Amino acid sequence: MIEIHNLTKQFEEIRAVDEVSVDIREKTVFGLIGTNGAGKSTVLRMIAGVIKPDEGTVAVDNMPVYDNVEAKKRLFFIADEPYFFANANARAMEKYYSGIYEAFDREEFYRYLEKFNLDKNRKISTFSKGMKKQLALLLGICAHTKYILCDETFDGLDPVMRQGIKSIFAKEMEERGLTPVIASHNLRELEDICDHVGLLHKGGVLLSRDLEDMKCNIQKVQCVFSAVEDELKALNGIEVLKKEQRGSLCTITVRSTREEVEARFATVDTIFYEVLPLSLEEIFISETEVVGYDIKKLILG
Amino acid sequence: MTSKNSFWASSRENHKRRIWVWIVAVLSQLLVYGGMTTIYLSRIRGVYADGGFKTPEGFKEGMCRAAQDALGFSDNLYPIIFVLAAVIGMQGFSYLFDKRKVDMYHSVPVSKNRRFAVIYVNGLMIYLTANLSGLILGMLISTAQNAVNGEVFAEAGLAFVWNFFFFLVFYHTMILAVMLTGNRFVTGALFLMFALYEFVVSDMFEGLKGMYFDAYSARYLQEEPKFSTFYDCIMNIWQIKNAPDAAAAAKIAMPLVAKWIGIAAVLLALGWYAYKKRPSETAGKAVAHHFLEPILKVMVAIPASFLVGRIVYDTSYQNETLLVVGMLAGGVILCAAMEVLYDFDIRSLFRHLLSSGIALVAIMAIFCIFKWDLFGYDSYIPAQNKVESIAISADGYYDSYWDENRQYIEQSEFEKDHMFITDISPVLELAELARQADPEKMGENRSVYILYRLKSGMQKDRRIQVDYDDPATEKLLNRIFATDAYQKGVFQGMTDPDLLEGVTRIQYTNGPARAVMPVEEAGRLRDAWLKDMEQFDFTLVRHNRPCGFIDFEYKDYNRRQFFVYDSFEYTITELKKLGAYYPMELDAADIESVTVTCFHNELTEQDNAVNYGVHPRAVATREAEYGDYTDYTVSETFYDEEQIAQILPHIYCTRVDTLWSRYKDLDENYSVEVVFKRNTTYPYDRESYYFTYAFYAERVPEFVAEATAYSEER
Repeated sequence: MIEIHNLTKQFEEIRAVDEVSVDIREKTVFGLIGTNGAGKSTVLRMIAGVIKPDEGTVAVDNMPVYDNVEAKKRLFFIADEPYFFANANARAMEKYYSGIYEAFDREEFYRYLEKFNLDKNRKISTFSKGMKKQLALLLGICAHTKYILCDETFDGLDPVMRQGIKSIFAKEMEERGLTPVIASHNLRELEDICDHVGLLHKGGVLLSRDLEDMKCNIQKVQCVFSAVEDELKALNGIEVLKKEQRGSLCTITVRSTREEVEARFATVDTIFYEVLPLSLEEIFISETEVVGYDIKKLILG
Repeated sequence: MTSKNSFWASSRENHKRRIWVWIVAVLSQLLVYGGMTTIYLSRIRGVYADGGFKTPEGFKEGMCRAAQDALGFSDNLYPIIFVLAAVIGMQGFSYLFDKRKVDMYHSVPVSKNRRFAVIYVNGLMIYLTANLSGLILGMLISTAQNAVNGEVFAEAGLAFVWNFFFFLVFYHTMILAVMLTGNRFVTGALFLMFALYEFVVSDMFEGLKGMYFDAYSARYLQEEPKFSTFYDCIMNIWQIKNAPDAAAAAKIAMPLVAKWIGIAAVLLALGWYAYKKRPSETAGKAVAHHFLEPILKVMVAIPASFLVGRIVYDTSYQNETLLVVGMLAGGVILCAAMEVLYDFDIRSLFRHLLSSGIALVAIMAIFCIFKWDLFGYDSYIPAQNKVESIAISADGYYDSYWDENRQYIEQSEFEKDHMFITDISPVLELAELARQADPEKMGENRSVYILYRLKSGMQKDRRIQVDYDDPATEKLLNRIFATDAYQKGVFQGMTDPDLLEGVTRIQYTNGPARAVMPVEEAGRLRDAWLKDMEQFDFTLVRHNRPCGFIDFEYKDYNRRQFFVYDSFEYTITELKKLGAYYPMELDAADIESVTVTCFHNELTEQDNAVNYGVHPRAVATREAEYGDYTDYTVSETFYDEEQIAQILPHIYCTRVDTLWSRYKDLDENYSVEVVFKRNTTYPYDRESYYFTYAFYAERVPEFVAEATAYSEER
């Protein structure tokens, strides 16, 4: 587990990360969401041991990470602009990383290269931005570290590639307990990948939740009540996060389980009701609006 | 077999990233050593082809010396090694300037210590391999041309060690510069600053002392850079190269190398510490450690502002107001420029005004200290009980000096090492007299340099202006000159234990005459001279002029001179016994002609006073302009023996040094050229066509004055 406690980092006058505390559990895909400048990259670089926190701690499997080789053996960091040696090809990068990460799987690497149609002998400088990100991801996956830290790595990947990487992540999680940590400024990029999401804003954590928990505890109901009394009876005692009404059709977001919502609505007189699935975006909108933020302005753009 | 993550595996991987540096380093050394050896040997072959060597052994020796010059200590190498150290140091650690590289290198499981060690050791390997490659190539070329012997190997080996530590100092300097900065431009600037700062600051202080302190002297205590490897090289390379053997060369080189090792160790320790403390996020910024920004700003602004002020001062004909304006303007501009550099943003011109203010205050404080001599430099005279000994040099005597290896040294160096006057009071009284003297009322104003060696271990170097015409000054100088300590510190001939070793010729000259004596007589002559020197004091040399000199000549053109006065009875007796003594007075029968030139300085001065006023600067300016200059010089040659006989008693041969004697005893308005008859038996120096004399003051015969008078018809 990666334990982040009260992490703070200031760059001259700018407080980039402000007392961030998050736990990243193993075998989950952790998404770090935030606008540009929210502190995602700084947090990831501190987790990777690249930069030293001013205050607070980062522990990877109970080991401090900064300048700690043992902790870093468990991490692979893919920066937002991954660096490849000048004039290097994929083979040269493999040689470098396989010399550093003892568990680097060379065969797997070349297999993946073929699968993703990346030429191992072609100069990386001639690769497109997306291809470079793929290569970085494949190097990271084949390093066989426990944690892989991806900074905006999925941005710019086409859907097919995203799907491919997703499935590799799933396989690696299944087989060896890989824990990807993915930072992105775009919520929609992470929706179908993450199990847990932390929302960063202005250097601090706005919220950090399991997606499943959020999905289970927030329900969206579309319904037409027969009478106002029925509406009051149905919503009595549960937390209403949002309510929209168009004519007689109500769309209500409430914090409750599906079973409880269905049970309540079954007891009142409705002309029509349906419990709908929530997108990650809708969940975030609901959660952040509660604490006074307009998520659309923050990360949906 | 090396493990995947061993030091050597990391090292190999790092070398892959440094291939271009390898190529540049090896090529440069191959070219330099190979090229120098080929050219030097070719030059000797050319000399040989032109018959420049009489024997094959001589040719072989010449070839070996050429190989020694190419492969041993050589000035040509230092700029190249300096650049190599900078390139290797910067390239190795320059990943720290690039955020993307830092992200990669600092996230992988390689400790910071390991990474530093790998890059550092690889840098050394690059240099050593390159330097050895060049050396081996040079050796091969030399061997192929039969131009090697033990001395070539010995000097090449010693130079290899010397060059390596020279490299090491600048390699470490660059590493420190990289660790303190965040981009190549600023790193290069800081590297140069480290390399030159001591020079610049020292020059600034010396310049200010020279400008504002009348008592400023650097005769004995020159402000030599203490930490400059370049300076050490420049100042010592000649001595090392010309040392009699490798052991003597090592004796000079090794203490310097030891010092360099110390400097290199300190630089490496600082570089390492800065590396460990360097925040990764400073990649690409000008300065890696924020707290250094104001410090560097002040450090750069102070000497730079003085440099600007000095340029303005010199170009404005020493206008002090403009000096101050120039310094302040320079300080403001430098501070602003540094801020722009830090942020790479022109809008940062006037950020951090506090540190800029501190820099300007420091600039003005330093200026005021010198301008108003706030620490009493000029008035300094130590208390007598605090002085251990003194060395003094009174303007008037110049000689050549050498060390135990017969290598020439400066007069001041000899005085410093050999003159320990413990009778302090006359020197302090002289200094006090000079302090109270009115320069306007001085007769013959001359400089006296004093080195105070204090009991505390400190040393102070001062210059005073004394009036040689003042009886009180003469009295004090007599007391000083008469001391054994003074004479031993001025006249090397009195103390040199090897004086009689290797004398190749002895001769006596009174100016025109040159009489050679047997070398076996050297000891007797020296002893006689020492006896005569018991009468030596300031009054003797002030009011008399030498009647001749005895010259001891040694191989390699070294010479030792002994002045002789008319009162030196013992010496003159010995000279007479050897038939070598010739009085200064000449016989008109030996003289072909005497040409007298009168410069009519009084007319030139009149012109200057009328046209430009009497300000000396104006005169100087006037003299620099040749356009409408009126030449008042009048020459007349006398062939008549009678006239010549009237002139000869009144002239003195200026070939003979006048030592401390009075300037005004000779008439500087006239110059006299004496030409001897070709058939005379007088043993004049036949290599000279004529001899230059001067009239004693107020002793120009009337007929000469008339003959050389100026009239417009001329």
